[in-house]
Amino acid sequence: MTQIYPIGGGKGGVGKSFITASLGALLAKWGKKVVLIDLDLGGSNLHTLLGINDQQGGINRFLDKTVKNLENTAVSTVIQNLFFISSSLCSMEIANLLHVHKLKIINAIQKLSFDYILLDLGTGTNFNTLDFFLTSNQGIFICTPEPTAIENSFRFIKAVYLRKLKHIVKRHSFNSAVKKAIIGPNHEAIASPDIIEIVLKHDPDRENFLRNRLSEFKFKFILNQFRKNLDATIGDKIEDLCNRHFYSNFQFLGNVGYDVRIHDSVLSKKVFIHKYPYAPPAIDIKKITEKIIKRRPSIPVTGEIS
Amino acid sequence: MKNFEGLNYYEILKIPSNSASFEIKRAYQDALSMYNEDSLVTYSLFSNEERDNILKTVKEAYSTLIDENKRAAYDTILLDSGQIEVSITSIQNQRKPPHAHTCNMTDSDNFDERVRKKSRKKEIETLSNEILSKDLISGDDLKKMRKAAGIELSEINAVTKISASVLKSMEENRIESLPPNVYLKNFLRQYAEMLQIDPQKVIDGYLKHISLTQKK
Repeated sequence: MTQIYPIGGGKGGVGKSFITASLGALLAKWGKKVVLIDLDLGGSNLHTLLGINDQQGGINRFLDKTVKNLENTAVSTVIQNLFFISSSLCSMEIANLLHVHKLKIINAIQKLSFDYILLDLGTGTNFNTLDFFLTSNQGIFICTPEPTAIENSFRFIKAVYLRKLKHIVKRHSFNSAVKKAIIGPNHEAIASPDIIEIVLKHDPDRENFLRNRLSEFKFKFILNQFRKNLDATIGDKIEDLCNRHFYSNFQFLGNVGYDVRIHDSVLSKKVFIHKYPYAPPAIDIKKITEKIIKRRPSIPVTGEIS
Repeated sequence: MKNFEGLNYYEILKIPSNSASFEIKRAYQDALSMYNEDSLVTYSLFSNEERDNILKTVKEAYSTLIDENKRAAYDTILLDSGQIEVSITSIQNQRKPPHAHTCNMTDSDNFDERVRKKSRKKEIETLSNEILSKDLISGDDLKKMRKAAGIELSEINAVTKISASVLKSMEENRIESLPPNVYLKNFLRQYAEMLQIDPQKVIDGYLKHISLTQKK
């Protein structure tokens, strides 16, 4: 069964594209057929990390209907089994994606036939990013052990969580008072605890349904650029904390050590894992890959997209 | 966001309901370090109001569980609502800190307990009361009380880790091979505790006895 992993995290520069490229390369080395899709629309550079000089484009050809099937825009990479769909030749206005185009991309992604589909997302919490993150029932967010990155990660989790809640309420039968409150004119100002309160007040029977749907979503996360002198239990603590205070499921996948050679590999436009397979960060990502391969969730991959 | 709704104090501190006080203290410290204002892992996760409420609840949980009376009352409430079972309630079944010296011994706690039990009989009590009422206590007295209790030297050695030769010297009044008084006092205390007799009387009586013997 195809596994879709959107890879996000609110802050820029935490290594989303680096982790996407590395995870993809390692999954491919395990013999899995993998495609990486650059969905950092308007800020693409995954192709550079993969050492690909993007000449033919990817998503742009799918959106302008030059290519009918998204799968045909995938190009091979230096690593066997690893494919790539670029967005670097999309229009300069692509960051403001039309709603229909967003749905078209998401639907096409869900139909791709690969073992693993990794989506490299942009920074921030705009609706495009959030909806791409909700393409699947699971997603990975990347964070670094710094207050700024942790702040943006929590912001990102809360935004995803709220969007998920709204999708659930919109798509399933809830009391009309609940629907009106959430989909009504001022609904953008509502925060996630409010929704649960609203449901509790107007539609108590549906409360468990809502909680169950929320608990189906699995957040996984990685702490990148981890330096040796830090408390190694930070990740476990965040996992524990989030599982206590959110209704969704959280799993800490591991720390990835800081290494100056990562910068070197970016400069030389080479896949880090390929160039330094025995560097500490490469070993860390290998362990994470094994975790991902062994723990295949049995839940369906399709998320809730309206 | 869920706060601590539906969680009891043990669940809030993430400890089993038969935790000993040292575990409650440790869990409280852990919770404070996680939820305090400077904590990296909760940075920006909660509003000030949410954080204040969480810390208030954590403090409430701690102050209730660390106070034996309050804890017993709280356990009764939990028992009545079926949140915990009788078999695992606090006070009677509290976990004890591990013994520093017995980590390699199998069944060490039981052994310790068995040895101590031997000295709880009536007739031993009469004998030891008689001896303890004396001003001077000799090594022979110690030995008599030990024999009456049916405790072997090797057993005292196993529990207290005082070497067998020192124990022997104590019982045989061999002053020249006894350790300095600082150590001797401690050894006497442990010896007395093994026999469940008043350690202070044993220490005073024995030290008086050997100082008199030395003067002779």
